[in-house]
Amino acid sequence: MSKIVILGAGIAGHTAASHLRRKLSKKHEVLVVSPNRNYQWVPSNIWVGIGRMKSEDVFFPLEPLYKRKGIGYKQAKVVSFHPEGDATEPKPFVKVEYLYGEMLGMQEKVTYDFLINATGPKLAFELTEGLNPGTNKAYSVCTYDHATHASAALHELINKIKSTQKKAKILIGTGHAKATCQGAAFEYILNVEKELVKFKVRDKVEITWISNENELGDFGMDGMLLSYQNQVMKSSEMVEMVFADRGIKWILGAGIQKVEDGKVSYENLEGEHLTEEFDFAMLIPAFSGHGFKAFDKANEDITAKLFKGFMIVDADYSPKPYEEWSVQDWPETYQNPSYNNIFAPGIAFAPPHSISKPRKSKNGTEIFPAPPRTGMPSGITAKLVADNIIDTINGAKTLHHKGSMGNMGAACIASAGYGLSKGSGISITTFPIVPDYNKYPETHGRELKKTFGDIGLAGHWLKLSLHYAFIYKAKMKPFWWLIPE
Amino acid sequence: MTQKISKQEHAKMKNPIIQFFKFIYLSLKIMRIVAGGHGGTRP
Repeated sequence: MSKIVILGAGIAGHTAASHLRRKLSKKHEVLVVSPNRNYQWVPSNIWVGIGRMKSEDVFFPLEPLYKRKGIGYKQAKVVSFHPEGDATEPKPFVKVEYLYGEMLGMQEKVTYDFLINATGPKLAFELTEGLNPGTNKAYSVCTYDHATHASAALHELINKIKSTQKKAKILIGTGHAKATCQGAAFEYILNVEKELVKFKVRDKVEITWISNENELGDFGMDGMLLSYQNQVMKSSEMVEMVFADRGIKWILGAGIQKVEDGKVSYENLEGEHLTEEFDFAMLIPAFSGHGFKAFDKANEDITAKLFKGFMIVDADYSPKPYEEWSVQDWPETYQNPSYNNIFAPGIAFAPPHSISKPRKSKNGTEIFPAPPRTGMPSGITAKLVADNIIDTINGAKTLHHKGSMGNMGAACIASAGYGLSKGSGISITTFPIVPDYNKYPETHGRELKKTFGDIGLAGHWLKLSLHYAFIYKAKMKPFWWLIPE
Repeated sequence: MTQKISKQEHAKMKNPIIQFFKFIYLSLKIMRIVAGGHGGTRP
């Protein structure tokens, strides 16, 4: 009998738990430890952020589902990792602290045979002075709560414009010099623009995209060459075309350093210190690790064996210049090299380096996007980790399931406006996610047949279909496993 | 120079019949890319 503990119940953690429970017999224990009570389908938060979906449409409670399916669940946060046990507990364990119910505030040692760290990122708002969702007229759509507040503020502004006929400024993009998740901000800006048109106030609002990207359409993936209709286009050209069509201005290479009431201060790649004013902003924060600590059997600090901000896995972390980066640097099994029963799929693993070319301002400030790791790779990597654990339990000596982001495709169905007949979406696929410049030297590291873009109403229908399909899958309804990650 | 989306392209992007067939085409194409497998990169 084996006990598998999964930390986190986001896309990666929940995917791993679901597959483990389905494929392992009941004599094996699957236990999820998560500080969150609900599973949320994060990609739909942008629709909550414009008021077209309620927060209840994008989440459901985990405990009843886990109870029905035979998955253990503790609403608790991890305090520390003890992969060798300690003086009193011979088995490896994580120390957790309960966040709800009768056990609130109590700590417990949760032992395991296998540990999946799927704790995702910490939303590090504190890394940008004054950036705190709901203050200084700046909002976030990173969680359904944040998105609900963003929607209320956006509609308050729309009502104000309608009643006063005064002009307003909206600023959307990244709130830190090394933030990632440009895709979510990109979707949000297009949805906000569409809502302003719907409420007939578009002509009163100046909308500006602000981002740490060097070029539009970088998305933290070094941009891409893609097929669009009958031509080959750079993602920068495609995004520029869309922004020009919607009358959206843009500021690039901007590392926001401070947010005050209706004003951001930023440094650009030229080393200039500039400001931009706004009446409503949605700024994606930096992501960071959770600052976990790890200890060995003798209670000595071994954090460096497990963490490098995020969790250390089978990547090549040796420092080298951009020109020497290779697709082979990226992990394949997400296994910690020091403890082979610990894995970190999804966003919890430490990337070997960024995907976009690192850039510094003339003052030496690093301004470039961190690598994105969205829902699709999170689900795929979680499933392969679950499959490897199952194989190991069944006696396999090596890990057969591999999934490098350098040999994995991804689809980004970016909503560009909500509405069954008037909606729009930008469908982009890329293969591989991390460009392989040796394999595809002529096409910016990507296979053109599998890297394409399309704009239109079908994109909205696709995004909406995915919303329902993935919530169905997450609820583990009949034949859920037939839906790919 | 920024490429523009023409009025004709706009009309196609909004046409529900064209978009219905595009929806089917994109679903299959995306499924092929995403479910087409993944693997390692190291020799």
